[in-house]
Amino acid sequence: MSKDIIAALKENVIQGRKTKDDVGIDDSLADKPGVVELTQQALDDKVAPQEIITEGLTAGMEVVGEKFSNKEYFIPDMLASAEAVGAAMDILKPALESAKVETKGKFAIATVKGDIHDIGKNIVAILLKGAGYEVHDLGIDVPEDTVVDFVKNEKPQYLGLSALLTTTMTEMGVVIKALDESKVRGNVKVLIGGAAVSDEFAREIGADAYCADAFAAVKVLDSYQQAKS
Amino acid sequence: MLVIGENINASNSKVAEAIANRDEEFLAHLAKAQASAGANVIDVNAGSGHGSLERAIADGKWLIQVVQAAVDKPLAIDSDSAEVIKAVLKEYTGERPLINSITAEPERLESIAPVVAEREASVVALAMGAEGIPPKVEDRLAACERIMEHLAGLDIEPKRVLFDPLVLPIAVDTSQGMVTLRTIEEIRSRYPDAGVVMGLSNISYGLPKRKLVNRAFLLMAAYAGLDAVIVDPLDTKAMSLIKVADMLTGKDPSCRAYLRAHRKGDIVD
Repeated sequence: MSKDIIAALKENVIQGRKTKDDVGIDDSLADKPGVVELTQQALDDKVAPQEIITEGLTAGMEVVGEKFSNKEYFIPDMLASAEAVGAAMDILKPALESAKVETKGKFAIATVKGDIHDIGKNIVAILLKGAGYEVHDLGIDVPEDTVVDFVKNEKPQYLGLSALLTTTMTEMGVVIKALDESKVRGNVKVLIGGAAVSDEFAREIGADAYCADAFAAVKVLDSYQQAKS
Repeated sequence: MLVIGENINASNSKVAEAIANRDEEFLAHLAKAQASAGANVIDVNAGSGHGSLERAIADGKWLIQVVQAAVDKPLAIDSDSAEVIKAVLKEYTGERPLINSITAEPERLESIAPVVAEREASVVALAMGAEGIPPKVEDRLAACERIMEHLAGLDIEPKRVLFDPLVLPIAVDTSQGMVTLRTIEEIRSRYPDAGVVMGLSNISYGLPKRKLVNRAFLLMAAYAGLDAVIVDPLDTKAMSLIKVADMLTGKDPSCRAYLRAHRKGDIVD
């Protein structure tokens, strides 16, 4: 029984159906319960929250990621799936807390000083939340001091920096230097992304990774998680 | 519809390479091709010098000289940096440059508006402030209001202002098409003497068949009151559609421009 619910959950994530009223990628699940209903049902049936996440939500998002890389899915498809997963995570939150299940890790994200682009940053935040990370969005046009203070006080394991402009990408290096000077660079992995940056630029400024898109960010963080365990 | 040719922009890697290599021939050719394809204004953006202001200024000055020697069209001086705009303007010998762009951000407004006044330039004014592109119509209009007040203080007439209502990708928020269209309508009714200009490509970010989406949005924007467009003039389908838009909105008496273009074989469907 629980296997069926989990399989349906995964299928609905792939279809990007948050509730039973949502139109999916195709009509195969029309009028059937969506991610929200299924998540509630799974909880009611005493399925472990951890299983709901890994076998249902994350497994579904992995397929979405592949389809996005293959250009079969587009940004609206990916966002619909990620929003469905985000809604499921909200439902699961109390159960996760009472079972003392930890999130995969704490991730802070910011668009750097002088840059006010937020679309890419928001997509990364939604997707990582859906992948089971605790996401803190520091906003746009964020000065390096704010980032350093957050890393010092809130101790995220991961930091994502976004910049879209060639005029602002250099700020990423400024942030990394400031982390260095405050002696907290070693506490946090720094990922960078945005239209202007590249693998080469990441190496140049001493970032830990360049992520070409939001799914790449999930992959990189998951690889750090695996290396830990 | 005023056509502003967008091709000379360092965000295009071939153009960036040509600027870095001082490839005058490539860039002059690109300017001429746009002019003969029907561009009324040629936009010139030399990039940000990889973060070095000195290099950005040097690149900008060199590029503006190359382009103004190649074509006899007004140029749009396009940069994120007020310093670059001011430095490049000094090299520009044309009469009425278009400055691209200002926003309601006080710093940017205060540094660039005086140059607009001094050179009797026209200016592209983005409907946003320091906090980024507002998702709501009211906030975009509030930014326009702040810009208009500041420019009026410097005796810059509304007819020298081209408002950009701004466009956010429909893939991320499906309400954004209507937000832009309503902003255009409101700007039209509040500032009847000002122009409205828009870039075509943002709306379709993240979607397949982007050009189809861009062209459809162009027609809708034309109906809402758009009168200038930042576009690739070498895109014959887009240029044909601009002629169609002018004709369908009553801006082409006796359909002359459309039919002339047709007789020259320039209209493609």
